[in-house]
Amino acid sequence: MITAARLRIPVLLIAIAMFATTVSEANTPTIRLFPTTVVEDLRQTGNVARDMETGLQEVIGKLDQQQQLYEESKCDGAEEDAGCQRLARQIGASYLDMLTIMEERLPDMEHTVNNTRQSLEKGLRIELGKKMTPWLLQETLIGGNANNATAKASPTLRGRSGMRLSERFKQYYQLVATSGAKGDQSLAVLASDIYLDMEETSLLIQRTRQEIARATLMEQLNQSFGIITPEMIEVVGGVKTILFGDEESQALVAGPPPGSVEQAYRSPLEQ
Amino acid sequence: MNLKTNRKALPGILGLATALFILASCASTAPTCAGPQSKNLNAAIATAQSSLMEGCHAHFDRYYDDLLAIAEGDPKPENKRAFSEFLVWASDKGLLSNRQAEDYYNRFFNVKFMSLKGDYNNCSHTCPNRQKVLLNMERELEEKERGLLKVSLDNEGYYRADQLFQEVELVLEATCTACAAGR
Repeated sequence: MITAARLRIPVLLIAIAMFATTVSEANTPTIRLFPTTVVEDLRQTGNVARDMETGLQEVIGKLDQQQQLYEESKCDGAEEDAGCQRLARQIGASYLDMLTIMEERLPDMEHTVNNTRQSLEKGLRIELGKKMTPWLLQETLIGGNANNATAKASPTLRGRSGMRLSERFKQYYQLVATSGAKGDQSLAVLASDIYLDMEETSLLIQRTRQEIARATLMEQLNQSFGIITPEMIEVVGGVKTILFGDEESQALVAGPPPGSVEQAYRSPLEQ
Repeated sequence: MNLKTNRKALPGILGLATALFILASCASTAPTCAGPQSKNLNAAIATAQSSLMEGCHAHFDRYYDDLLAIAEGDPKPENKRAFSEFLVWASDKGLLSNRQAEDYYNRFFNVKFMSLKGDYNNCSHTCPNRQKVLLNMERELEEKERGLLKVSLDNEGYYRADQLFQEVELVLEATCTACAAGR
């Protein structure tokens, strides 16, 4: 279950923010990385994520309150106290509720994530893998603006966004749904990023599902003793991070310093 | 009998002596191929050109490196043109093939990576050699840092090359994973 805490989807906060301000390019994309099926899959994944968040929000809020009460009652170190044991059992019961909700929702999540991953996989393999040489790929990424350095709006860095899961997918969906206005170079990077994200997410959901059964059994045993294990606290913290974001992860990357303006020279040797 | 033998050997001895004389003469006039001493790029290029024309063309790499070092001492956007013209001259004089000249220029002064070239598709050509390709690109990025940033003050160009490197790394990771999954 500890792996649930690692279920953090690296997303492109910086890229998304940059994209939002990107001026639309007029050129029509010639590579098809986002067919309508991918757009629909992303929308569907966002909806499933939102449902899971809604279901978990209440139980996590309850867990927070119970944990606060446990601490305020100075139950740490007084586990033998009958009142503290009762509180611990209540926390354990809420924890079990959380695991149950996750167990119910994760299969849907896994299904939609896998659909998106498979659609993108096919697109990447055909469009970038089989139809392009490395030089053509490079030219696609650079977008014919090698000397203008205008591609600063392109998403490049992968990382956790620190935003809600459903919000991430919603943003992905919006990016992809309006991708017709973006250049091919952005699409290739965006598709790669989402694909690797889905790949990682799919694997982690799979592991999490395997762990939920074990964690549920352990907690059912703990219920009889009224114990709060460090694992429980860690898992709840992890789930909160996944679903509702992590402020620490919102690290910004500094932009490049302003360059020289006198760069109009173009050599006859340049390729 | 001895006299007859000596007469027969005489032309051989004379030939050997002549060959030694010619070799000694060549050794005394061989170019020193010293690097340009001037700290002025145009003067240094002129010196390098005359040395290259006097038989030092085998040292082209070293001369190019010396010129880059001199240009680093006085970085400015115009240096890009100076290097381009020098390479076009070297190509015109037959010291370099056109492809070599392009390679020398683009590795240092262009955003695009010469190490990311190939005639076959990425699944079959680039993916099996991905690590090697990326390693070569990383080396080329260092050359671009020298050419674009330190010689030509083209900060934007260098940062774009750096960004392109990161994008290629990401896109290749995804594409190669997708290629492998499709086998």
